Parts: sequence; structure tokens; C-alpha cells
Amino acid sequence: MFAYIVRRLALMLVTLFGISVIIFVLLRVVPGNIVDILFDAAGFVDPADKANLEKELGLSQPIVVQYFNWISGLLRGDLGYSYVSEKPALQEILPRIPITAKLAGLALLFSASIGIPLGVISAVHQGTRLDYTLRVISLSGLSLPSFWLGLLILMASVSLFGMMPIFNPNPKTWTEAFAIYAVPAMAVGFRSAALTMRITRSSMLEILRQDYIRTARAKGASEASVNYHHALKNAVLPVITVIGIEAAFLIGGLIVTETVFNIPGIARFLVEALRWRDYPIVQNLVMFIACVVVFTNFVVDLLYAAIDPRIRFGD
Amino acid sequence: MRSVHALGVAALVMLALPDPTFAGEPKSGGILRVYHRDSPGSASIHEGATYSINIPFMPVFNNLVMFDQHKAQNSQDTIVPDLAESWAWSADKKILTFKLRNDVKWHDGKPFTSADVKCTFDMLMGKSQQKFRQNPRKSWYDQVNEVTTNGDYEASFNLKRPQPALLSLLASGYTPVYPCHVSPADMRTKPIGTGPFKFVEFKANESIKIAKNPDYWKKGLPYLDGIEYTIITNRSTAILGFVSGKFDMTFPTEVSIPLLKDVKSQAPNAVCVVEPVNVSTNIIVNSSNPPFDNLDIRRALALALDRKAFIQIQFEGQADIGGTMLPAPAGLWAMPKEMLEQIPGYGPDVEKNRDEARKLMQKAGYGPDKRLAIKIATRNIPIYRDPAIILIDQIKSIFIDAELDVVDTAQWFPKVARKDYSLGLNLTGNAVDDPDQSFYENYSCGSERNYTGYCNKEIEKLFDQQSMEFDVAKRKKIVWEIDKKLQEDVARPIIFHSRTGSCWQPYVKNITIMSNSSYNGYRYEDIWMDK
Amino acid sequence: MAVVNYDSELRRAGAHATHGWRRLAFLAQRYVLGTFGLIIMVLFVWTALSADLISRYDPLTVDSAHRLAPPSWAHWLGTDSFGRDVWSRIVHGARISLAVGIGSTALGATLGVIVGLISGYLSGWVDLVFQRVTDILQSLPLLVLALVMTAALGPSLHNVIIAIAIPLIPTVSRVIRANTLALREQPFVEAAKSIGMSETRIAIRHVLPNTLAPLIVLATAQLGSTILTEASLSFLGLGIPEPYPSWGRMLSESAAEYVRTAPWLVIFPGVAISLAVFGTNLFGDALRDILDPRQRG
Repeated sequence: MFAYIVRRLALMLVTLFGISVIIFVLLRVVPGNIVDILFDAAGFVDPADKANLEKELGLSQPIVVQYFNWISGLLRGDLGYSYVSEKPALQEILPRIPITAKLAGLALLFSASIGIPLGVISAVHQGTRLDYTLRVISLSGLSLPSFWLGLLILMASVSLFGMMPIFNPNPKTWTEAFAIYAVPAMAVGFRSAALTMRITRSSMLEILRQDYIRTARAKGASEASVNYHHALKNAVLPVITVIGIEAAFLIGGLIVTETVFNIPGIARFLVEALRWRDYPIVQNLVMFIACVVVFTNFVVDLLYAAIDPRIRFGD
Repeated sequence: MRSVHALGVAALVMLALPDPTFAGEPKSGGILRVYHRDSPGSASIHEGATYSINIPFMPVFNNLVMFDQHKAQNSQDTIVPDLAESWAWSADKKILTFKLRNDVKWHDGKPFTSADVKCTFDMLMGKSQQKFRQNPRKSWYDQVNEVTTNGDYEASFNLKRPQPALLSLLASGYTPVYPCHVSPADMRTKPIGTGPFKFVEFKANESIKIAKNPDYWKKGLPYLDGIEYTIITNRSTAILGFVSGKFDMTFPTEVSIPLLKDVKSQAPNAVCVVEPVNVSTNIIVNSSNPPFDNLDIRRALALALDRKAFIQIQFEGQADIGGTMLPAPAGLWAMPKEMLEQIPGYGPDVEKNRDEARKLMQKAGYGPDKRLAIKIATRNIPIYRDPAIILIDQIKSIFIDAELDVVDTAQWFPKVARKDYSLGLNLTGNAVDDPDQSFYENYSCGSERNYTGYCNKEIEKLFDQQSMEFDVAKRKKIVWEIDKKLQEDVARPIIFHSRTGSCWQPYVKNITIMSNSSYNGYRYEDIWMDK
Repeated sequence: MAVVNYDSELRRAGAHATHGWRRLAFLAQRYVLGTFGLIIMVLFVWTALSADLISRYDPLTVDSAHRLAPPSWAHWLGTDSFGRDVWSRIVHGARISLAVGIGSTALGATLGVIVGLISGYLSGWVDLVFQRVTDILQSLPLLVLALVMTAALGPSLHNVIIAIAIPLIPTVSRVIRANTLALREQPFVEAAKSIGMSETRIAIRHVLPNTLAPLIVLATAQLGSTILTEASLSFLGLGIPEPYPSWGRMLSESAAEYVRTAPWLVIFPGVAISLAVFGTNLFGDALRDILDPRQRG
């Protein structure tokens, strides 16, 4: 097990290194840089001023040096300075993480509390009209763009209550907190709920076909006991791991939802920073997202390996 | 074009008038909550070229002089003292001297002196050690030889030649006095001023906060405890926030005419004002390359414009048609209606104009079977993109098939500077309603913001002539002549001058929205809330 | 990993009893939802192909006299702030969605197959390198990678297709690789080897055809997500530029401004996206049920 962990950790580092190279190069391919944008806002450019600014921001150095500076800074915990706000990138990124984390957490909670029960029901009643209906609902959940769902929620909130949630970092009342976090979380979580439901259903079905379930049935265990005691217990693990992976990928939904609901989290920040060509913010944010994904994958793999020793040899 | 006048009059018609006489005694206290349309790049007014910076940060500063904050139409006559108690021109009109207040302190406690004035303008002229990252209004001081001080409380601008407009430029919200002892970098992130409000914090994409300066040198001011700007880029989200009472005021001049109707129906008590913003939407024409090096094709383009249709679609009829200078009555320098209508393309009969345009196109070798294919470059922002879409549709009628070339903000300026376009759709904002500001910047040979590269030495001479003229009536005559010529040369066809709305809750008192500039009216020291 | 015999799977599904059209009819009856999805997809493709016939106005023509008109007989789904007909724009928007959906899925799948085949067949260090690259690409959420890619390439139809295709490669190459690995151990491949067939020929003649079925399943499943990604990119202003009527773009900026005064601008493009994606999802699900029993739910 120890060797396995070490190997997985090494792979993780290789992956993160690759991501850092790719994102760094991609960003430099993007036409236009912060200097152009700043001078564009000013409406004219003096080549000498432009060269000065490029030097000041370190953009005139060879790309390899820039990359090295970034990585060595990263290892020391120094993420550089945002080009736009001129504040340390860490100071810009850190306060936004809890906002997005809260949204993601709520979205996952929503997705699990809706997706798992419905998935189990669907599996237990496989082939019935109820199963069909639930499957159609889950498929439609996968088909609704979350930004559209967000817009519809806003529309509904305005026509029903004559108001809409405006983000406030320190909500004063419970209802306000609910409106600020839970409503957008539902818009994001709807899609993952659909996904969770599908996965719960299929892993339940697989387990219900297993021998020990048949044995339990043959021994005269009640239908409810078989379904909920034996089967669900074993089906939960794959579901939880999938939810773990989904957590990392929620970011796509969060990007559009934070935009629709005007929430100052990291997902929307990424889009804004990209627009400003604020390299220090974009590359560090992408690395952060990648770390979350890679780490989640790692934990999921470990979980599996702990349960099913064959995996350690099969990789 | 009979309606030009009517449109002009409408410019001053307010949807609802705040009533200053019954406002009662001002009350102190309260935080004014305003939404902000976007996250400004920095907090440094001198380094910006958008009122996204002026609006939140103008209350942090003072100018030497400023436009009276409660007279909607800015002019030389509405300029009042600010940090300067008084000012005077020398007999040869080449020295402008300011007597400064001696009781002013910066927010960090250091005293304000004439050295700060010299520092600020030396930096703007590029003469100091410390440099701005960007200095978009350097050309405003082209005629200034140097700024000198006489003791701690007197500063003089020594000019190369008389320039009456200089005083207006100094009164703009774009021209605050910066402290000598704070670096430009600090001014971008945590500005220090002498103004009624102190900077508190600026969180990109989130909020800007400023708080009352208790030691403000104008005793008893400001009334508000602070102002809080919440950044909301989606307009309808922002408007909904205002309508539901989350904000006391919209971002000034940011409520489009279609949204204004929405506000009025949802919040009938809200006070709303519609004013011109002195931003013109225009076409930049690359006349150094084919096909638009051909004056006939440029003329045809000018003739094909149906300006009313633009205004109908984007402003439900509420915008102004004119030349370079902002149309009357809000604008001070616009040519008379009769003169405007003589310019090709401004005549009232669009079909007749287009017939003429088609003839010009045929003369140049194009026709229904040989259509001209071009690209129209514009920025990826709705206020740029929307008129471009209408333009493409309109020039179909004169055998031009245009495709939209949407350029990312980061690439727009380099592209235009490279002259890598044939037609571009552009917006030009004028901070001060004064010909000096507009002509030199946009039409003089070699000016960095003269995107089209238009250069006409004859007209250039007229620029200088009007600039030195102290007699307003005489100056107007020259300005009209210049404006007409610029339009006839199709240097940069002006499509329209936009108007927008600003709204606030009825308890917010003492706000005046300027009618011929959207950059100068945000000191907010005497705004108060009746609640 | 076991190799699936698709013919027997079809038979198991009950299709052995009949042939030709009747076989199709049988499948349609058995997989009602899938058939429903297929119908939506066919409608969607048909709309895209015959957009010029069924749209009633030019989707780009501006009409200042009829701006923001609510749905009526003249404008079935109303008009936008330029007076452009929403129905015509949605119909033409189907072209863009379809072009991006099929284009990027095809591109991503082709590249994924190449990578997967090479990786699975050659193994060794080539496999190792490809595997790591795949890992890297999979560690970035689809939309994040697509966002940076479109920013890098600039907004245009083919750039959006490329930007969405690249993140698809790892998903496809993983499945193809696994399948190839399994196939390599199969007797018929061994046999081909023993008669002296070259490795490349074996890969193309024997291995590739046998990976087609999982590929089709996977591609159909991805089609919906590519359409959604394009819509998200356009919604964020990084997709296909105006004036082209992309559904996502129709929902962004200008539509958001009219959320209350002109709700049809928000509702109909969203319905179009959801319906198209729903159709491909339903069909993809049924296809998977038929062809790929390992994933059968």
C-alpha cells in the first residue's frame, strides 16, 4: 500500500507539472496582454512607456525565465502580484475560495440528498413507470444549461417576490443567507443531482444482481432489508467517489452560475482575470483548480485501493 | 431633419424633477449604496480613461477649480473655486495664476501646498521622475510650458500661447490634484486625496467603499457617512437590485432608455433623469487603404446612414444627431440645425440620400452585381457591437456586404493602431464640452488618439485659431466651420450622441446629473438622505 | 476487460427475431425513450439543414419598427431588441449548435481514437507519455480548458470547435485504449500476427473496427455536452461572435437586459438548447443500453 501511495503521489506531481506548463504556454499564446489593455484604456501608446511597463511586469523576460520565476515563487508560497489590482495574487484569490467552496458544498449536498434517494428508488423499481419517469427527469436535468436555469430562477424570483438575491458577504438573516447561497447552489446542483441519481441507480442495480444479495433473498430476508440494508450499503461507495470527482468538476457550472448571480467567487474571477490577461491570477487559479481535481482523484483512488486490493496491481 | 431641434429640447426634459426648494434642512448620516457597472482597472483617475474610475473616486479628491456641481450644463461660467480660492489670467493671457487655500490637509494628515500642484501637473506633462503607467490626457497640457510656484500657496501655469479652454480642462473630474508624497502605484491601489471622502477599500469585481472625511476643509461637509459601490456587471441584475430597494442609486448615466421604462414601472417613486453623456458613436474610416481611400465611397457611406433608425433601435428615439460637438441645447458648441442639414447624409430624406450614395458607388465601379465586401471591426461590448449590427444592415442598401469582425478588448487598440481595419465602429467620450479637447485629440495630425490618421493642415490652422480665441461668439463661428468640414471629409462620421438615464430613490437629495459631460459631476460632498 | 460481441448483444436485446425495418421497429418499440430522442435529433438536424426554408425572415436583418415584439402570428417567437425574428434566429442557431456539436465531437473522437489506438497498441513508453498527457488534460474541467483555449485562439466558429474538441480527446482515448488492450489478447489478433500481418495493418484492419461500437456510444454521449459547452462559452461572451445567432449568445447580455420586459428572449433559446441536448442524451442512453451492456443500468 505504501509503495502504491508513493507512486500515485509521484504521478500527481508529474501531472501538476504538465498542467503548469500547458496553462503557462496557452496563456502566452493568447493574443494581447495586460500592457495592451492598459494602454487601450488610455487610448494611446508611447512605445517607451509600453516597454517600461512590460519590464516592470516582467513580461520582457524570456518565457522560460518567466516560467521558472513563477514556479519557484509558487514553491515558496509567493504567487506574484495581480497585474490589475497590484495586490498579491494570494490576497486576491484566498478570500474568494470560501465563497465558491460554500456554493460547491451546498450544491453537492443538494445533489446527494436528491440524487441518492431517487437513484435507489429508481433501481429498486427498475422497469416500472416510476423508474422511467425518474430517468427522464434525470436526463432532463443533464440537459438544462445551468446558466439558463439560473436566469429562470431570477425571473421567477422577481415576478413572485419582486426582488432577487444580491450577493452580500455577510448575510444578516437566515433567509438572506439562503437566498444568497442556497438558490445558486441549487441551480448548479440540479445537474449533479441528475448525475448522482444515474450513478446510484446503476451501481444499485449491479449490486442487486450479485450473489450475496441472491443469497440474502434466498435466506428469506425481507425485500426492504435486502434493498436498503445489504444493497445500498455496498452501492454507496462508488456513489460517494463519483460525487467526489463531480465536486472538482462543478467548477464549470459555477463559472456560469456565479456570473448569472453576480457572486464574487473564484469561478467568475477566473473569467474576469482571463479577460484582463491578468496572468498571475489566471495561472494560479487554474493551478488551484487542477490541484483540487488531482487531489480528489488521488483520494478516490486510495479509497478504492483500500477496499479492493486488486487495483493496486492492476493500474 | 426637423426633429433635431425637438430632440435637443427633449434632452433637458427630465422624467421627474427633484425639487430643491422643498428639500428641507440637510440631514447628516447614512451610507449611500450605489451599484457600479464594472470593475475599474485601478483607483487612479489620472491613469484612467473611463468614468468607471471617476464616479467612485472623484469624491476622494479636490481639483484646483471645478464645475459647479449643481449646474447641469458645464461651461466657463459655471467654474467655481475648489483648492484654489481664486484665479487670474495675466495681461498677455499666457499665465494663469491660482491662489491656493492654506487650510487643507491630505487624508494622511500632511498639509496640502503648491508643491503638490506642481507635482501633479509635472507628472501629467511627463516631466517628473515618477511616471504614470499610462497618461491618457497628456495632450491636454501641450500648451503648458511649465507650472511654477510662488510660496506654498500660489501656483501658475505658464503657457506657450493663450488657451482659454485650459481652465475648463482643470475643472474636469479628470483633473484632481494628487499628493506629492504618494507614489503613482499607491494612488492606483489606495488613493490619498483632500476630498470629502476617504478611500476605504477596493475589491476587484466586488465593491468599492469610501467613508466620510471628518476633517474635510469644507466645514460641515460631507453629509453622508460613506458611499458603497457594489460591482454588478449584468445590467438587468443591477437594475433589479435598485428596483427592489437594495440600492439608493443606480450607477450614474448607466440606465439605458429601454431599462428606464422598466425602472419606472417597477419603482414609480424613483427619481430618474435622462441626459446626454457627451459620448458619440462614430465610424472610423481607414482612408489610407482601398476601398475607403476613395472619397466617393466614403461619401456614399456617409449618405447611407439612417441615423434615426439607429436612435430608434438603441434609444427609442431619445438620442441626438449632430457633428463632432455635442448637439444643442445641452451642447455649447454645436453648429446650428440649418448648417448641419446641408452636410451630405444629414438631409431628412434617407431614400434620396441613398439614391445618391448608390450613384457614387456605381461611379466607383460597384453595383447590385458587383458588391463590395468588407469587414467592420468593433469591440466585443454591446454598446459597440449593437450599432455595428445596425450599420451592417444599413449599408447593404448601397451594395456593401459587411461582416462583423468582433475584436477582444485586449486586441482592439493594437489593431486600430496598426490600421488593420477598413471600417471600425467606435465610441468617443468627451470629458469636457470644449472644442480643444475634442479636435486636438481626435483629428489633429499625429495625435495618438487620431485613430483614422486623418490629417488636414488647413483645418489644423483653424484648430489653433479657435483655441486662442477668448471671445466665445467668434470662437463658435470657427468651431462650426471646422465641424462642418470634418463631416464633409468623412473623417470619422458621427452616427449619434447617446443619452442615458440615472435614477435614485426619492429620499436621496441634491444630486445633479450633468447634461454635457459624464465625467465631472460626482463630488457628492453635499448629497444627503432624507430618512 | 472483456470484449463484447455486439451482434449477440443485439440479439439478446431481441432483435434477432426479425430483420431490416422490422428489426428497427422492434427496437423502437423496446426503447421508446431512445426513439423519442432519435426523433428530436432528426428534427434538430433537419432544422439545421433546412434553416433557410423554415425560417421566415433573414436572421440578421434589423427592423427598427418591430423591435421587442412579443410572439405573434407575424413573429412566432417574437423579435429581439434589433427587431430580428427570434424563430429565424433559433432555426439558424441550430446550424451553429450542430456544427459545433458534430464538428468538435468528430474532431475530438478522431484524435482520441488515434491517441487511444497508438497508446493501447504500442504500449511501452509511448503509452506512458500519452497516458500522462491524458491525465493532465483530464485534470482540468472541460469549461476551464475550453475557456482558456478560446481566449487563446480568438472567437470564431472553427476555433470554438477546436477548443471544445481538445478536452474530449482524453475521454475518448481512455476507452479506446482499454478496448485495444483487451482486443490485443484476442485469438483473431494472435492469428493475424501468426500469419505475418504487420502491426499497423492489424491495428487498422482488426482492432479499429472492433472499437467502433463503444466509440459510437461515447460520441453520442459527448454530443450533448459539446452543445452545452458551446452554449456556456457563448453565454460568457467567448464563443461564436455576433451577429451569428448562437443560442448561448442569444441568452447572454442583450437578452439578460430584457429579462422582464421581453421574457421570450430568455425562454426560447434556452428551450432550444435543452431540447437538443435532451434528444441526444435520450438517444445516447438507449444506444448505450443496446450496444454496451457493461454500462447497462
